[in-house]
This record gives sequence, C-alpha cells and structure tokens, in this order.
Amino acid sequence: MKKLGLFILICSAIVMGTISAHAADVIKVGVPLAMTGPYTDTGDNYWKGIKMAIDEINAAGGLLGKQLDPVRFDTQEFAPERVMQGADYLCGQEKVDSVHAGWAGWGQDVRAYGKYTAPFFADDGSQAAVDVFREDPKKYANIFQLTDTDINQATSMFNVLMALPHDYPNKKVVIINADDAWGMGVGDTLEANFKKEGWEVALREVVPYGTREWGSIMTRVRRIKPAIIHVEIVSAPEVITFFRQFMRTPTPSILSYGYSIVPREVVQTMGKEADGLIGEVPTAMPTPEAPTPEAQAWVERFTGIWKHQPQAGSWAAYSGVKAWAAAVVAVGDEKNHAAVAKHISTEGYKGETGWWKWDEDNVMRGGGDVPFGHYQVQNGEMVTIFTDPPVKPYKDYKFITPRWIK
Amino acid sequence: MSATMALVFGIMAVLPLFVGGTAHMMHILIMCLIWAVVASCWDLIMGFAGIFSFGQVAFFVIGAYASAIFSIQLGIHPLAAMVLAGLVTAAAGVLVGLPCMRLKGAYIALVTFAVHMILEPFLKSGMGRALGTGGTRGILTIPPMELFGITFAADNKIAVFYAALALAVICSAIIMLVIRSSWGTAFLALKDSQDFAASLGVSAFKYKLAVFALTSFLTGLVGGFYAHYIGMLSTRLLGIDLFVMLMIMLVLGGIGQFPGAILGAIMTVIGNEMLAPLGAYRPLVLGALVVVLVLLLPDGIMGLLRSLVPHKVAEQVRQG
Repeated sequence: MKKLGLFILICSAIVMGTISAHAADVIKVGVPLAMTGPYTDTGDNYWKGIKMAIDEINAAGGLLGKQLDPVRFDTQEFAPERVMQGADYLCGQEKVDSVHAGWAGWGQDVRAYGKYTAPFFADDGSQAAVDVFREDPKKYANIFQLTDTDINQATSMFNVLMALPHDYPNKKVVIINADDAWGMGVGDTLEANFKKEGWEVALREVVPYGTREWGSIMTRVRRIKPAIIHVEIVSAPEVITFFRQFMRTPTPSILSYGYSIVPREVVQTMGKEADGLIGEVPTAMPTPEAPTPEAQAWVERFTGIWKHQPQAGSWAAYSGVKAWAAAVVAVGDEKNHAAVAKHISTEGYKGETGWWKWDEDNVMRGGGDVPFGHYQVQNGEMVTIFTDPPVKPYKDYKFITPRWIK
Repeated sequence: MSATMALVFGIMAVLPLFVGGTAHMMHILIMCLIWAVVASCWDLIMGFAGIFSFGQVAFFVIGAYASAIFSIQLGIHPLAAMVLAGLVTAAAGVLVGLPCMRLKGAYIALVTFAVHMILEPFLKSGMGRALGTGGTRGILTIPPMELFGITFAADNKIAVFYAALALAVICSAIIMLVIRSSWGTAFLALKDSQDFAASLGVSAFKYKLAVFALTSFLTGLVGGFYAHYIGMLSTRLLGIDLFVMLMIMLVLGGIGQFPGAILGAIMTVIGNEMLAPLGAYRPLVLGALVVVLVLLLPDGIMGLLRSLVPHKVAEQVRQG
C-alpha cells in the first residue's frame, strides 16, 4: 500500500503542477516552438522575439485593452503527429487567436494549422510549405510565412559568394548539409547554381544531426583544397566542431555557414575564434548598425533585454506578432480571424525597417525593406556585409579575408 | 490478462463521452491506442520471446510509408493498403529476423537498431524518392480511410478513435492468444533455456522467425493506420524521442507483463502531455520519474497491480 500511496502522490503532484489559472480577459497567443531536441537553439531565438513583442504590447496596455497570454507548446522534432497535436492543442483546445511559430514542420504545419482559422506565422523557409499552400490558397489563407523559401535563400547565398571581394584560387566547392528538408533544399540549390557557373562540386556530403567527428570529411577537404566550403547544419555543436577540426589544418577556403550561423551558441561559444565565418539570415535585421533609427532603437531594446545582438528569427518572429497585433487593431476584433488574415495579406505591416508585404503565396519574399542579410563574424559578433536582392554592400562594413587564408 | 484488457479498453471506450469535443484530448487518446499496439508488439518479441529487438519503431515507419505509398502511387484503398503494408513489414521483419537467428542478446539489439539507423537515410535517398517517400520533405498528402460513408480523418477524431480502438482490441487479442497458446509456452521455454527447449523439440528458428513476422505485421498494420489518420509522414518519426518514449512505455508497463505495455503506453502518453508545461525541463522530469518508478516498480504497473490484488484473484485475473 505504501508504494501505491507514493505512486498516487507523484501522479497528483504532476496534475496539480500543470494546472494553471488563466485570467478571463486575455487574448491567448499560441507559440509552438522546439523547446527540446536538436532544434532548441533556433526555437530559443524565435521565442526571444515573440516574448519581446508580447511584453511590449502588454506594457503599452495590451491589445484592444486585453493582455496577451502566450501559450507555449513544445514541437520537439516536428514528428507529424506532434505538429498536428500542437495545432489541436493551441487552436482546438486553448482557442488561441494567433499562432507564432518559427521552424514549424516544412509543410506539415500548413496542413495542421490550415484546418483552423487563427492567423499562423511560420518561418519555414520552405518551398514544400509554399507548395502545400498553393494547393488551396483559400483554405490556407490564415498561413503566413515570415521568410522566403530555401531555394531563394540558397540562391542569395550563392550570389553573395560570387560577389565577395575575394580572388578564388580555383573553382572547386565542397557542400556539406544536414539530411533534413532545409539542408537538402539549400544544398541542392547551391549545387545547381555552382555547376551552372562552371564550378566543380568536388564533394557533396549529407550528414545527420549529431555529427561531431569530421575526420574523414576533413581529410577529403584537405586533399581537394576547395575555394569555398559551404556547411548547412543549423545546430551549434555540429558547426562548432566542424570549424575547430577544420582549423587544425585549414585550407585556403571561404567558410560559408549559410543559415547555420544563426544559433546564438555559435558566436557565443567561439567569440573571436569564429572571426571570418560568413553566413546568411533571411528577413534580416542588419547589425551592428541597423538601417533606420527605428530599427536601431529595436536592436538596442533587444540587446538590453537579452544581452546579445539579435539572431536570425528573433526579429522575424517579433514582426509576426506586431503585424498580427496591428491587423487586430485595424479590424477591432481579435476573434474575426478571417478579417485579420485578410488585413495582413492585403495591407501588410509597417515595421522598423519599412514595409512588410506578403506576396500571393503569403510569403515574405526577400528584398525591399526586408532583405536577406549576409554576415561575417568580425571581432566575435555578426556584422552585415551585404544585403540582397540586389546584392549590395551594407553601409561601410567590409568583408575581411579570413585569417586562415594566407 | 483478458479481464485487465477488457477493463482498460472498456474505460477507453467511454472516454469520448467526456472529452469527445476536444480535438487535442481525442488525439492523445488515439495516440495512446496506436502506441499501445506498438508497445505490446515490442513486449511480445522482447518480453516473452526474449529477443532484444530494437527495430519496432523502424517497422512502424516502414508500415506507415508502405501504406501511404500503396494508396497514393497505386490508388489502393487505404484499408487494403494497411493490410499490404502489414505484409510488407512482416517480410521486412523476416529479413531482419533471419540474421538474428544466429545471434544472441545485445548483438540482436545492434542488428535491429541498425535497421532503425539505416531506414532514415534510405527514405531520404534517391532510391527512397523513386519509391515515393518524398525524400526529406516526406509525404504530405496521404488520403484518409473511408468506410461505410465515414471518413476516418484527422478532423473526425471520434470516428478515428473508435477505429483505433477496434484495431487495438484486435491486435491485443491476437497477442494475448499467442501468449496463451502453445506458441507462448514455446517462447517462454526458449527464453528461459533455448538448449533445453530444443531438446524437447521446440524449434528456435521457427518460433523466433514467426514472432518477428507477427510483431512486424501488426506494427506495420498500425503504422499504416497512423499514416492515413495523420495524413502526412516524415522521417522525424525516426527521431530518438519516439524511440525513448516507447521504451518508457514498455518499462513502465512491465517487460513481459502483458497487458502492462498497454497500460504503460496510456500512462506514458498522457504523462508526457501533462509534463508539457515544463517545457525544456520535461525530458528531465520524465527521466527522473522513470528512474523513480523503475526503482519502486521493477515489474512495472502490472507488477504493482499484482502485488495489490490477493494472490488467488491475481492468478484468476492472469488466467482470464
């Protein structure tokens, strides 16, 4: 009986611990992000932007006089039933009036949240997600993508690599990408672009998340001595170990990390050691000096709260919340989801750098006031050196030839 | 055994009366039933037959993909596609089982886990894409099952729940009958002493291969059901999270304590959801709870129930 008593006590504690009281006069906002598993780093970046936007709105008296109440859901590794569960929980059970995600399932999320009406903001950067949307744009009218597709981002990465003020010693490239939808999308597009320009893709490796030992790949890289090495694995341990093992005997190669540069842990862990790495961020807030005074004020607020410069996803997710809030104010009713979604897609949103206008696929395409940002780590921080499209140098920031290239 | 199963499934059957209007709760109940079958199959092969197979998630995914591909590429009705998927998975189980006949213990675990590890790159490869797996994108448009004018899709969860319940009852009944039959006795004999069992004429080859085929078939069948219910598939299913959760289900229910695996699955799925508000601390707390429960209940929930019920009654319950 003692065992049974203890067992019941443990179960009761779990139940009691998870019951939370919710105030009646609030607007619930769903936040499905990876809180555990390999995507935790990027999930954290998104959360910082979302939290900042919600706190700002609440501090200013709320939305239509009501406080925003974030309801979080751990999407873990985006297993199909987990994505659906998130939609059923947030939209079906919690009845949230908007959903703010980051990476959310590369198309699975469009199906899962398209069943409901609450505006849903994702940062999939995925052509697959756009393809699902195109199957029935009316049904998926509540789905908004905060960034352009993997194909367009990879094309932008390629364009900037070609525009770098650097004399490549040869036309050989090594592409290493993760075996997920994002990694494959970027890797395939880069490979096609390089081949089209007459480059030799001397090595293309697809690796799983969790790869920490790069010995065999590094041996081949050293034999090839490529002009460019592109690594696309959005997880800090993988790219940090790659860099450190590369630096034991570096080749005179530009190290391009694409979107892999974004987990905060990369520059936080390596600091100045990472100087020279280049990377890309869609829906970018250029740093360290922002393009407009409003944007600069935003960067300073962000840095004040989180004690570091904004990483990829933070500003995109922040802007998603603000765009939705502006639409709710314009419509005057957070429950009128269809009108709110229509307002977002037709009117857009005036953000810190200028206008956000979603295209007919409800995708925030790179360009205009919200370009792709291309960064180099300099003095331990990410510095914007180019924006695209069109490819142009950003302010007075210059590309610096990495120290390992003699 | 049968009384416990009847009680558990009986309680499950009336739950939609209370939570039927909540899609999220219904989804959790459906997942409880799906994982209950997978965990029970794992229990049959590991707990009763004593084969340390770590390929159960892989078989589940093979079944799910096979059923989706049959229905999309060949236009086969989802129900028939599920059965075909079960057969494909059974064939895969036999193929995996054959080399395992020469191995013991941890080596079988290694071989079967290798299948799990190989499956993801295969599904993402050019060969996988040619078969219709969708590569890294996965399969995003799987038709739901339609029977007697009812669509068993994600937006009709009560119908899906009762279909899942029927499937779980049938699969559990098959597992129970196998355990109670001479096959079950043979499994136990082989598990306890293979040499002695062989001296009595029990063929290790026949019975071990049969258990691989049966558990793979049932797991593949329920994998197919999952595919048509969720409507999309990706290799995320092969992540370590699900594998660990299934292992927890088995340990919590009690290995070789059927129908403990069913109870373990229900408690693990629901417990995991209840811990969701803990966010990043969820795996930590879940892990700690498992350690505590395993220390307190080495024979799982079924062991606890048996210790609470007087011996004679327990014996009657065990005998059904």
